[in-house]
Formats: sequence, structure tokens, C-alpha cells
Amino acid sequence: MDQLKTREEILLRMVKSFTENEVAPFDSEIDQTRSYVNNLLEKVHDAGFYSLVTPEEYGGAGFDGRTSAKVLNILAKGNASIAVTLEGHYKSVEQIVKYGNDKLKAKYLPQSADRIIAFPMTEPTGGSNPMGINSHAEKHGDSWIINGDKIMITNGGLAEIYCAMVKTAPTELSFFVVDQDMDGFEFGKQEKFLGLTGCPIGEILMDNIEVDEYHLLGKVGMGPEIGNSAHDDARVLMGAVLTGIMEHQLDIVSEYATQRKAMDTPIIELQTIQRKVADMTIAKETTKLLYQQAAIMKDSGQDYEQEAAMAKAHGSRAAVKSGDDALQILGGYGYSLEYPVEHLIRDARAMELAEGSVEKMRTEIALIEAKSRV
Amino acid sequence: MKIVVGLKQVPETTNVKINEKTKNIDRRGVSGVINKYDRNALQTALDIRDVVGGTVIAMSMGPNDFAVSLQEALSLGADEAVLLSDRAFGGADTLATGYVLAEAIKKIGGVDLVIMGQQSVDADTGQMGPIVAEMLGISQVTYADEIQPKSDNELRIKRYDDNIEQEIIAKTPLMLTTTGNAGKPEYVNVVEIKNSFEKPLTTWTSKDMPVDSNRLGQSGSPTVVRRIMSPEPKERAGKMLSTDATKAAEELAGILHEENLLAEED
Ligand SMILES: Cc1cc2nc3c(=O)[nH]c(=O)nc-3n(C[C@H](O)[C@H](O)[C@H](O)COP(=O)(O)OP(=O)(O)OC[C@H]3O[C@@H](n4cnc5c(N)ncnc54)[C@H](O)[C@@H]3O)c2cc1C
Repeated sequence: MDQLKTREEILLRMVKSFTENEVAPFDSEIDQTRSYVNNLLEKVHDAGFYSLVTPEEYGGAGFDGRTSAKVLNILAKGNASIAVTLEGHYKSVEQIVKYGNDKLKAKYLPQSADRIIAFPMTEPTGGSNPMGINSHAEKHGDSWIINGDKIMITNGGLAEIYCAMVKTAPTELSFFVVDQDMDGFEFGKQEKFLGLTGCPIGEILMDNIEVDEYHLLGKVGMGPEIGNSAHDDARVLMGAVLTGIMEHQLDIVSEYATQRKAMDTPIIELQTIQRKVADMTIAKETTKLLYQQAAIMKDSGQDYEQEAAMAKAHGSRAAVKSGDDALQILGGYGYSLEYPVEHLIRDARAMELAEGSVEKMRTEIALIEAKSRV
Repeated sequence: MKIVVGLKQVPETTNVKINEKTKNIDRRGVSGVINKYDRNALQTALDIRDVVGGTVIAMSMGPNDFAVSLQEALSLGADEAVLLSDRAFGGADTLATGYVLAEAIKKIGGVDLVIMGQQSVDADTGQMGPIVAEMLGISQVTYADEIQPKSDNELRIKRYDDNIEQEIIAKTPLMLTTTGNAGKPEYVNVVEIKNSFEKPLTTWTSKDMPVDSNRLGQSGSPTVVRRIMSPEPKERAGKMLSTDATKAAEELAGILHEENLLAEED
């Protein structure tokens, strides 16, 4: 028996049945109440989802990039918010694995089984432009004193541990790991976002938080590299989430279009509808191929920055457009808040911004491409 | 208690494909899952073990890829697993399958309890549990809905049959089949999957058991499948009357008149 293959198959069987029973039936309710109803988060925790990518030596399951992306693909078909909550956690765990020193890893990786970790970079004065941030850390003997305000954090308010980007000099960016239990840590306001409404997005305030040197991720000045690495990992997973959203749209549309009749023909027989369903199918499949390709390259140690950016840049617009097609196919019902189509557009739309705007990603994709050819 | 749970891997989809020539289930290209009632059987076994102690052995007869479902059973908490796999077992009907399962249970020895799901969702016969019980010569309780250990060798079992509720106290050795109400199947824990590989999963072929080769596989299977078809859904013949008694009586009298079912009075 191929142990790795068997492990993955058992995992994916569980994730499918978990999604069917615990996630999908509550999709609309999660969207409307802006919360993980029916104890979803507790169930996700109890099934061990928080530990999916944490290495085995730290008590985790140690699944690779391909498998973790597939897991989020399946979950997102049931509800995109919960998949994004896990995406935020996984990419943060991965940066601690990549850049944390032994002491930091020994402290926080075992905790990742029970406590969500988030990754705040954005501030009121800087999103796409990291140098625009004001948060800063100053060295005092063996420790650092951190001050600043971070906004729009995926899982902000829910997560208990934060990898925060701060300035350690006027033009020097670094990351520190802070904990909600530290003196000077406070939660700020929650965003009222258009989509992914189940996933809390919020603010943290850091007021003279003192941390030991080992809370520094990597080395002083490694902020840009760590930030980019987190983006790459997140974008692979978001490609998977977007694929899940499109599969959800296709499920709804397929059922509706085969049952709904115009005159005596099911509308799926109409070429205008077929055109839309075909475009949706192509959009779903291309996004899936892109995220899986990025994940395979990541697992085999190749550069995957460009593929990851393409998965999210292509997938996010494709899912918004595919959602628009789905809405149109459902006619007036598609436009109704009582049907689960409109919120899939709102959910997908978030990913044209989160983890880097599509505009910035296109710049990255173009520069990598051009450089590789000259 | 030493408990054996029979598990079958079934196609994930409810849209089962049948091989036109052999009339057997075509398993190619379809990923499998543990038959849903067998999840209830397994959970029941784990619950009993957790109260009275002992071991749970998951057992399955089938091709090598059924091992995935046994590994899943180990991830869910079973202590050991046995895969019964041999070309000679292929093409078996329920009788030939029951024979191999019974022989394997005899080989394990000292088994107090055998639990299986009420039926498999692909073949739907519901025969396996009873066949194995008969071959082992032990008592059986089918369609068990609630099972509680009463002592080290006794179980209290509830079964709901149409309109009656039965409570049975049964002594081991015993065979149970479980409905979808028995046990509350849990999800595999993401981290437990890798730990399950430390538990034993053994494969037995026909050489590992003292079996009569005439009773194996196709040659041991008296069942001949002539035709397979999906029955057309039938409109129910019955009529629903009002729940209000007076109205219902009026409606009923009306129908009896309309259908000319009442003897005419002179
Ligand atoms: C659902 C959601 C979750 C989020 N989660 C997190 C999180 O966990 N952590 C975190 O730190 N942040 C998070 N964010 C914030 C997100 O990363 C920022 O919104 C994003 O980086 C854009 O920054 P901004 O909002 O400041 O917009 P700006 O940077 O001000 O951008 C405004 C516009 O200008 C364009 N633009 C800006 N700079 C360039 C450029 N160099 N080239 C081309 N176009 C440019 C942008 O594309 C955009 O259209 C999240 C956002 C959302 C919507």
C-alpha cells in the first residue's frame, strides 16, 4: 500500500462527508448571520483541521501543499468562508515553519492544533504598499517593544496568535509573532465586508507589547521576503477556494437548468444557457489546473510564485464572472437574497483584493515572465 | 470482548454502474467509501469496547484497494484489521462471501461479537450478517438500533420494527446487524490518520485458512443474476384523507359510493 496516497484518500473521504453534512447545509445561514452557526468551528477543530499542515514532529498531520489545497477546494464548495478561515491559518503556520527559529517553532507549532494564527500586514496607511505602514518595533536589550495598528486581518478577533509586519528601521520591514495574551494587545473593530461574511476580518492594536528576541520571524529586514512567501502560499490555497466556489455555482446551475423549462424545453437545451455553463466549466477547470500546478511545483521545491499568482488572479475574476453567469441563468431567483447564488459572487470578489490585489499580482506575473525570457 | 466488524467498500456514488456482461458491479474509476451502515457497525463496536474493554478487528473481503477502507477503520479507532483478498475469492455471491468471512472469524478464534451493517448500499441484499451467523452457529439479532453492553457477555439491544419496539437481552457469542440509528459515526481525525499505520493490517489469502476451494468465488456461488434493472417508480395507489375524523368519514363514504363498493339496499 502506498502510505501517502492512502493517507490522502482517507483524509479526502472525511473532508467530503464533513462538507456534505456539516458545512454545505449551513452555507446560506453562515452568510446571512455572519457567523459559523451550528458549532461549525468547534467541529472543524475537533476533526483536527487546524493541524493539517503542521509538521508531524510538532504534533501535526504534515500534509503537503497539494493535499491541503484539495481539502480547501472541497470545503469551499460547501462554504467559502470556513475555507478562507483555514487558508489564513495554514499560510501563517507555514511561515512559522519556514522562518521561525527552533524555540519559536517549539512554542507555537504545537499550539496551532487549537489556536488559529493570523498574518497582519495591512494598515490604514499601507496595503499594497508595505512601506506605507507605521507599526514599528524597537530593540530594548534582549527584547523588542512593538507598537502599531493592523487592520483587515483574516480571522482578526478569532485568531489568538498574530505574525505582524512592522518596521524595525525607517526602510526595514520585519515580522514578529505576538499573542493575544500579551500585555498591550487589544482587539479593534470588525470589518463589515461584502462577502466571506462568516470569516471574521478585524483589527488588532499593539500598545508597547514586549516580546523576546526569539519572537522575530527569520532575521531583521526579512519582512518583504516573508510577506511574499506568505502571499505565495495563500494564493495557491485561494485558487483552490475559488475552484470550490465555481463548483458550487455549477452544481446549482446544472440542477436549475435541467429542471427549469422555457416553453416545453429545459433551459439547458438553449444555446444561450449552454454558452454560459460552458464558460463556467472552463473557468472552473482552468483555475483548478493552475492551483494544482502551483501546488505540485511548491511540493517539489520549484519556484511557484508566478503559478500561485496566476491561480488567484485568474481564479478570482473567473469566479466573479462565473457567479454573474449563474445569477443570470437563475433569472429573478438568481438576484434574490433567498437563493445562494448572489453570495457566491460576493465571496469570490474578496479574493481580487485579499492576499494582494489582482493589479499588483499582474505586475508580478508580467515581470517574472519578462525576466525569464531576456 | 473480542469484536469483529465486517466492512465493505462501496462506490462513492449512488449511481452504481453494472458490467453488462458479468452483471457484477463495475468498480473501475469510481472511488470507494465505507458502506454507510458499516460505519454504524464500527462505531457500535468501538463504543462497546470503550465500555467493557477488548479489541475491535475490522474485516473485509475484496480486492486490494479495500485496504484503504480498513486503514480508515484503523484511523477511526479499530485495533486491528484483516483483509481477505485472493483471486479465488473473486465473483463471490453472498453465500461464498459469508463462507470466507466465517472461516476467517473462526481462524481469529475466541470472537464474542460480530457486527455488520444491515445491508450494503450497492448490492442491498441484507444477507451477509445472517449467513455468517448461521455458518458460525451463533445467535443473531438483525436491524439493531441501539446497543448497550449489560455485562461482559450480555448486550441490551433495541430494535424498532414498523410499529413495535423490541428490547432483547442477548448473550455472546452473537452476531448483530446495525441500522443507520446505531452508534453515532464520528469523523476521522486529521492527525489520527498517520498514527493508524502503526496498527496491524494483515492480508489473508485462501492459503491462510482451511477453506474448501469449491465453496469459494464463482464456483461457490449458486446465485445467477439474470437481469438487472431499475424499477420504475410507481404512483402510490392509496389516497390520503383529512386528519379530521368527521371529514375523513364523509370522504371515505363518498369514495366507497363513487367506486361502487357498497352493497345496494333494496
Ligand atoms: C477579505 C479580505 C481579507 C484580508 N485579509 C488580510 C490579512 O489577513 N492580512 C493583511 O495584511 N491584509 C488583509 N487584507 C487586506 C488586503 O491585503 C488589502 O486590502 C490589499 O492588499 C489592498 O490594499 P489596500 O486595501 O490598502 O488598497 P490600496 O493598496 O490602497 O490599493 C488601492 C487600489 O490601487 C491599486 N494599486 C495599489 N498599488 C498598486 C501597484 N503598486 N500597482 C498596481 N496597482 C496598485 C490596487 O490594486 C487597488 O486597486 C484583506 C482584505 C480582504 C478584502
